[in-house]
Amino acid sequence: MNIKNWLSERLKSGRSDKPSPETVNPVPQLTRNLRAAFLIVSAAVVLWAIIDPETRTNFVSGSGIAQGALIAAIALGVVLTYRGSGIVNFANSAVAMYVAYFYAVLRRDGDLFLPPLPNPLAPIEGVLHIFQDKGAWTDLPDWPTRISLGNEVSFWPALLISLVFAMLFGLLLHLLIFQPLRHSPPLAKVVASIGLFILLPAVIIRRFTIQPFAVRSMPFYKQDAAPLKLPFGISIGADALTIAILVLVLTFALWFFFQKSRFGLSTRAASENEKGAVLLGFSPEFLGAANWVLSTLITGLLGIFAATIQRSVDPGVLPALIIPALTAALVGGFTSFGWTTFASLLLGMQFGLIKYLEINHHWFFKSGGTPLPGGERLIPLLVIVVVLYLRGKSLPVRGSLSAGRLPFSPTPSQSSRRYLAPASIFAVVILALFVLTPPFRLALSNSLVGVILCLSIVVVTGYVGQISLAQMSFAGISAFLVSKMTVEAPIRLPVFFTDYHITVIPHMPFPFPILIGGFVAMAVGMIVAIPALRVRGVNLAIVTLAFAVAVDRVLFANKSINGGFIGAKVDTPNLIVGARDVQYDFLGLTAGDGLQPNPLTAIFCLLLVVILCYMIANLRISATGRSMLATRNNERAAAAAGVNVAGVKMLAFAISAFIAGVGGALIAYRSGGVTTDKFTFLQSLTFMAFAYIGGISSVSGAVAGGMLVSGGIFFTFLTNILHVPSEFTLILGGLGLVFAAIQNPEGLSGSLRQQKLRISQILTTRKRGSDELVSPVGKEVGVDS
Amino acid sequence: MSVLLEIENLNTGYNGVSVVRGLNLQVSEGEVVALLGPNGAGKTTTLLTASGLVPIISGDIKVFGKSIKGRRPHLIARDGLAHVPEGRSLFYQLTVAENLRLGAAKGSADVKKALGYFPALEPILDRRAGLLSGGEQQMLAMARALTVNPKLLMVDEMSLGLAPIIVERLLPILRQIAAETGAGVLLVEQHVHMALQVADRAYVLSHGELVLEGDAAEINKDRSLIQASYLGGAK
Repeated sequence: MNIKNWLSERLKSGRSDKPSPETVNPVPQLTRNLRAAFLIVSAAVVLWAIIDPETRTNFVSGSGIAQGALIAAIALGVVLTYRGSGIVNFANSAVAMYVAYFYAVLRRDGDLFLPPLPNPLAPIEGVLHIFQDKGAWTDLPDWPTRISLGNEVSFWPALLISLVFAMLFGLLLHLLIFQPLRHSPPLAKVVASIGLFILLPAVIIRRFTIQPFAVRSMPFYKQDAAPLKLPFGISIGADALTIAILVLVLTFALWFFFQKSRFGLSTRAASENEKGAVLLGFSPEFLGAANWVLSTLITGLLGIFAATIQRSVDPGVLPALIIPALTAALVGGFTSFGWTTFASLLLGMQFGLIKYLEINHHWFFKSGGTPLPGGERLIPLLVIVVVLYLRGKSLPVRGSLSAGRLPFSPTPSQSSRRYLAPASIFAVVILALFVLTPPFRLALSNSLVGVILCLSIVVVTGYVGQISLAQMSFAGISAFLVSKMTVEAPIRLPVFFTDYHITVIPHMPFPFPILIGGFVAMAVGMIVAIPALRVRGVNLAIVTLAFAVAVDRVLFANKSINGGFIGAKVDTPNLIVGARDVQYDFLGLTAGDGLQPNPLTAIFCLLLVVILCYMIANLRISATGRSMLATRNNERAAAAAGVNVAGVKMLAFAISAFIAGVGGALIAYRSGGVTTDKFTFLQSLTFMAFAYIGGISSVSGAVAGGMLVSGGIFFTFLTNILHVPSEFTLILGGLGLVFAAIQNPEGLSGSLRQQKLRISQILTTRKRGSDELVSPVGKEVGVDS
Repeated sequence: MSVLLEIENLNTGYNGVSVVRGLNLQVSEGEVVALLGPNGAGKTTTLLTASGLVPIISGDIKVFGKSIKGRRPHLIARDGLAHVPEGRSLFYQLTVAENLRLGAAKGSADVKKALGYFPALEPILDRRAGLLSGGEQQMLAMARALTVNPKLLMVDEMSLGLAPIIVERLLPILRQIAAETGAGVLLVEQHVHMALQVADRAYVLSHGELVLEGDAAEINKDRSLIQASYLGGAK
């Protein structure tokens, strides 16, 4: 063997920029697909033969297929935007809902509805009361709410106008929100789409109501027509068949378009390596915009058809379909349209099947005599876990010009870590309690609880960069446990095959349930953290969101847990019951004005807030805190520097879930009862929003976030002093989140800190010209970027 | 012989801090120009600025007689500027043929012509780019740049991660391309002697400033000049 051959052999085996094994699979794609398709078809045939005909018809039903088509609509849009611009759009279900509303309103009223724009005059009016003579504040001049096209619009023009709107909407989303975020870290992208997810339903609910909106039927088939009889005993409505065919045709068209056209080829190329595409003369901006437009077009089109079959759009239900849609997209690896549609249809069809099994089969899982609710929401979580386990890394990692900087995590100042800051906060808040009116006292308690929940997000997402969208699930588990421990306990369960009973939940006196709730939440958090050891970024966000939805719909919806109609009671010690008119005389001073809420509740919350903030601020400067930041920045480098990355992630989830659990227990004690609405997955998303706007990477950010939460100081100020209606809470929250993700990733506390730095710089450097070269931000880059 | 690339008194860098200062450089039709210098001299930054990926701080760059100031990078590329960047920027998920097809707007004739220079790619057209060896990947990167029929070809550290033997084989192809298509070639290279053998002229940068400029053959003769510029002695 001569030296040249040897060298080229060596080069082959040890090339420097070898892509990871996942990205390049030696088995050709088509062969793999065929093999998998064969397996699935044979499994389906076997299953078909085994199950009884009635189960079969419940599985392949018109409503199931319509549901599947709706999921496919959302999922295909998600895949398209991911391929085109690298954004996993959590808000795509909300986009489908928005377009369906647009169409439905156009059909029924002939109106183009406009989003509610905050009236800039409202806060001024709130203080000055100029228009008050005419009645309520709403009489002041306002923005128009709709553009009327006269009477109701017939099907084809309405469809056309709606689709044009969908395309413009997609373009707008791309240009205003996601284009500026192209080079941001995954967190900012996830956060922006969560902002949209909160914003769009809030707009719809503000403009219409929370009630479902009726959708008129289409001209081609009669509503209530007899279903078509197909072979194998399937009967299916013409409308469901239409949409099934539409979905399949669109899927095939997308596949063909991406495989064969130059546009598809360049989108695939640009999604992998943006720089390479630019240098070949392709514009990633154009490709991104085109794919966004295509995505909202397809999502809108299928959304309109699915809504017509279901005869209504529901602003409360439709957004939650993002979970099965993301699951389907994950099955398709965020690239394959065929697999995505296939999984979407199955996930839609299982809704009907599970409902049928729940009602008709005695072996179905029971809880307190009734079938376990929400089984159909558990399936997506199971699929996600299995897919991520089998695939390891499911989202192909996109290459781009620059990776973007993570929000800076400042070192807490000396004083805040020692005694000065905690002591002064204590003093200020206690003084405030004497001065504040009851609404603000309530707001203060709300904010303090909010601080704790934001703090739990700071640890896991701010310090370690793991996106957890299930914080309120941890809090809820703890809250319901507190209810059990204080009211129903001791709960005893029989040991299998014996006569013994063991106490599962013992009775606990205050304040132990808080700690126990925290520890149980911590254990659950550590279980959720197991996938975090394998997946990161957007994938983890998807897992945790699916977990939150499953906990929400299965556990919290369970009557034996949520206490049914009356809710789960909590036995709160008299001293801190919120709803008590108390007045304390102490050393000649009188605490409290004898009105609700009880000021001691706020002090009790404050105590926990100060302890937790103090501990987390100290965590940030400890060696553990540094390894957390190292893990956030670069897992490989951290591991190479001797950081136990898996351990750090576990620890972060444990601490974070513990804090969330304490927060949940606090909510339970404060309100004397636990209701499910405080712990839905939407609440988890909302708290993520407020934590991010406040500043996700520092304790001061959590404090700022706590001030912002709904019902907290900031919104109470808006509604009570400036008289901005409270429905704007979610709209402002969503808008603020989108804005924060683009403009100000370090949140409120970050911008305050930068202002402080700038001022101190101006004070210290007399020369004016020098601050342009050395910006305050520049100093931080070296520390953590 | 017209000037394809004209860099005039260029200051460029990142976040307002100049990495390259006061650079003047020209590349004309059919000419191979080497841009040399130690690590951190600003060679790659110069190429990235010429492609529009890094903004100019002051001075000007004219590509085919038009200033690139304020122009979008993909539009500059469409004018006929091909840039093989550091790290190659291949699309690993796509096959070799698809990678080539992306560049060739006008069809398969361009692909055939590019394959003419790199016949080793022909048997592996259906293989994904990510599966190729380092040398094959570099050939693909250059072939892909050729499919756009470039009037100016910029190649950045094509030797990175390759054995000198492979580099020895690839470099003369650049010479051949310049001679046959009339394109100008601007080459950034760490293998100084190999680069000087194929280049007509050379520029040597050090710490962002031009320290040496001249005929490649002459610079190659007087090794002490270039050694001094690399080690910081020349001023």
